[in-house]
Amino acid sequence: MDASIIIQMVLASVGGAVVYTLIGIAPGTDETAVLAPVTIALALMGLSPYVILAFFISSLVAKKLTDSIPVAVAGIPGGVMAAPMVEHAMVLKKHGLPDVSIRKMSSGSVIGTLVSIPASFLIAYLILPIADTVAAYSGQIFTAGAIFLALLTRNKVLSLVMILPFAILIMGLRHLYWGLDIVPEDTNVFVSFFLGITIGPIAFTLFELLNKKVRKNMPGLGAKKIEMKRSKKEKGLPNPFKILTGKESLTAAIGSFLGSVTFFLTPVGMTVFWGEAITRHIKDPVQRASRAISTMDGLTNASYLSGTLIPLIAIGLPLSPMAIGPAAGLFNAPPVFTPENNIHHLLSMGEIMTATIIGAAIALLITFFVTIKFSSQICAIVFKYIPHEALIGLFAGLVVMLAFMDAGILNIFGTILVALVAGLLHRNGVNYGVMFMVLYAAPWLLGLF
Amino acid sequence: MKEENSENYVEVWEDNVNIKDLLIAMALCIGFALGGYLFAFGDTPPLIFGLAGGVIGFIISSIIIKPKRQLTMMEEGE
Repeated sequence: MDASIIIQMVLASVGGAVVYTLIGIAPGTDETAVLAPVTIALALMGLSPYVILAFFISSLVAKKLTDSIPVAVAGIPGGVMAAPMVEHAMVLKKHGLPDVSIRKMSSGSVIGTLVSIPASFLIAYLILPIADTVAAYSGQIFTAGAIFLALLTRNKVLSLVMILPFAILIMGLRHLYWGLDIVPEDTNVFVSFFLGITIGPIAFTLFELLNKKVRKNMPGLGAKKIEMKRSKKEKGLPNPFKILTGKESLTAAIGSFLGSVTFFLTPVGMTVFWGEAITRHIKDPVQRASRAISTMDGLTNASYLSGTLIPLIAIGLPLSPMAIGPAAGLFNAPPVFTPENNIHHLLSMGEIMTATIIGAAIALLITFFVTIKFSSQICAIVFKYIPHEALIGLFAGLVVMLAFMDAGILNIFGTILVALVAGLLHRNGVNYGVMFMVLYAAPWLLGLF
Repeated sequence: MKEENSENYVEVWEDNVNIKDLLIAMALCIGFALGGYLFAFGDTPPLIFGLAGGVIGFIISSIIIKPKRQLTMMEEGE
């Protein structure tokens, strides 16, 4: 690693932090949909793996820091992961303390980052001895993972039943492309199917809107009403440990550690489970809410970071809901990264550590400072000037282009097909994790027959 | 803030959008991204042209489309 690579890593981290500070605030932005395509695109552009990792970590930390801002300011989650915190943030908002929740949440996030990075390296080091065995049985493990995640979903029966049909859809398209000589036989189309699953729910809604009957029955909505409070001016450099009380720092740290240990489970589920478990005993509603949001924000951050870092360091296969979702680009972005040759294989543990620390430190410095000082101003700018239509359009554009790049015009329609099926399943309670696992398990699973 | 077009927005991805505006934004972004990729020239990888195209589409749609959000600022009541 020489100086020029380090400078590139710093620049990429600054860029990631700035862009994802804004994206984090935009309502409804799903982590996988906004992080994965960009990481994959950067990898395919041939950027150095060090730079990609630093960029990803910085973007992730920045996005996690800011997606809780709209929760506090307006009561709408800035991302899927912020949803469990809405209830507690509303308690604080009702008591007239929205700026308190922003500061507590961001500080919790900082603690989550600080705890989970060393914890991830420790856990990764502990499971390193069994990593080769795990990697040799990846097909079996992904299949088991799909079944395991299916059992955790809202609709267990459908999730289990759709495993084989969904695998057939994916392998069917791949064999079709091979048969028509669109791609060579040793190329597995991956990125576009992955993105198809990600945009599934949006695609499904859009296609539904093409149906006049459905459109007529939809409740006509007016402009989304958002009430905001101007936050108070903050002087000097904010210090997360002063913003949180000792007890809050402690539970945030404990929650973050637990979230790191359970890296292979679904982050939203763990956030709700640990977050409620740790704070349930507190009687006073305001104290409980502020303890809950600082803990939960730390936890989400920690489970995201550890879910990325532990599989990346120890195994090199995306064996966590985080790694198969938002962080997928670090593990698989063919032809640049493949399960046999990705950041895990290209970088040593020390190098992964360096890139992670550079990315996280820069995001914390920039985003934490900006969040505490200008949260309501940034929110107002995003709400006022960035139309939701343009965001959806941008991601649609990225997906169509990457689909075309993967396997030509036909694959644009293949991806639409995957998206529609994924959207329908998602609507009926099958979560992303199961479908992503099936995407990885498909070749082995169908090889059984 | 005008009420003329209200009541015909739909919720997509947890925010309200106008279907016509959404179609315009998608057409712009997809057109520029795919167009950039197809008409790439020189030694630069076509992906970069595609990404730049997507961003151009995003910027144009941000300018011509108004967000469907109604912001009310409340003063800090203390």
